[in-house]
Amino acid sequence: MQTQMERSDLTENEKMEAFLAKIDRGGKIEADDWMPDDYRNQLIKLISMHGISEIMGALPEKEWVPKAPTLRRKLAIMAKVQDEMGHGQLLLRVAEDLLAPLGKTREDLMNDLFAKRLKFHNVFHMEAPTWADAGVIGWLVDGAAIITQSMSLDTSYAPYARALHRICAEEKFHAQHGESIVLELAEGTEEQRQMLQEAITRWWPSLLMFFGPPENGTITSNQSANMRYKIRTQTNEELRQVFLKKYLPRIFHLGFTVPDETIHFDEEKDQWVYQQPDWEQFKQIVKGNGPRSAHRLNLRETSYEETKWVRDAIMSYGRHVG
Amino acid sequence: MDMNKETEVRDDFFIYEVFSQRSVSSSFVHQFSLLAPNKEVALAMARENFLRRETCFNIWVVKRDDIYGLSPEERPFLERLDNKSYRETRGYGDLQARWRHHREQYEEKQKHAESGS
Repeated sequence: MQTQMERSDLTENEKMEAFLAKIDRGGKIEADDWMPDDYRNQLIKLISMHGISEIMGALPEKEWVPKAPTLRRKLAIMAKVQDEMGHGQLLLRVAEDLLAPLGKTREDLMNDLFAKRLKFHNVFHMEAPTWADAGVIGWLVDGAAIITQSMSLDTSYAPYARALHRICAEEKFHAQHGESIVLELAEGTEEQRQMLQEAITRWWPSLLMFFGPPENGTITSNQSANMRYKIRTQTNEELRQVFLKKYLPRIFHLGFTVPDETIHFDEEKDQWVYQQPDWEQFKQIVKGNGPRSAHRLNLRETSYEETKWVRDAIMSYGRHVG
Repeated sequence: MDMNKETEVRDDFFIYEVFSQRSVSSSFVHQFSLLAPNKEVALAMARENFLRRETCFNIWVVKRDDIYGLSPEERPFLERLDNKSYRETRGYGDLQARWRHHREQYEEKQKHAESGS
């Protein structure tokens, strides 16, 4: 898009004051508005991580497309994989517009991913060995994602808010797709129930880690900066509590357990008291040293290289008819 | 601000803005943007990226470079001044009461005429 020249008679301090006043009164920032470098960098970090996670998140589920138990399940999980790639496309576009003034592009993001400089969600570094894992990913991982993304619907960065509105609507289908698989197994044979219990047990630490470390944890996080900029409105721990309140009762209603013998609800504090996952392990996982990190990155890289000829063919066509 | 720079992310890919129409009687609505090497690929991707579920009657893709718009500094001037009631129906809210007044006066007169005869 083209517009006229920018007024530049304001000092950096005046711009900063106007920016903070605007977001404080609920105003939204657009891609071409002035924004502090720190705000831009926080957004790039958050949105490129979110976008790449959508794409990497399609990989553990993709493994289950050829092995889905019925045709309907196969169609549903294919639709979900396609949605995740679509969400990745939306978010990468938002990230690209933020990266443009820095002279960076989508290719830089891909290269950052392959070099492990760009992180993706801890859950997508994990294995999905059974069909019950596919169910638990939809039910609990997408359930967790809906909680964090719904919080950001009111984010101060307007293009991200618009992308999230589209994404959240589709995530609800994903969660129901997962619930449907989980209920089928929970109402099934002893063997099916055991498979589901094993998947819940396997995913439990990853689900706690999904929301990130608590504020007083050992890993420095950008939570407070993001809250000042109204990029997010709730802390990691607040989001984790929303998740526990919503899903722990449902796990118990189905007669399943989580691998935490001391977990209990503190009525007075109105929160779940749980054993912390191993945050050192979390650090290693998101650094790219999780059980399936190398395999999934390799899949992504191979797919990128193997489809290069398609992009080249389109380019050559584009040049001739342009 | 020169936004052309944004579009030249790769010299062989362009940003396209996507618009779609839900039914023949609805207006085109902006959906989102995408990156494509040409307009044909942009149109195919528009459907795959944004219209997997919604009913859709028609799609447009427009190169972002070809859209001319307001800069952030100009946008605040779009804010409407609050003195335009003469242009709007709410500026004429007294009409119904006045019509009612005339009808009631007329009916009152009619009643007196009838009882007088």
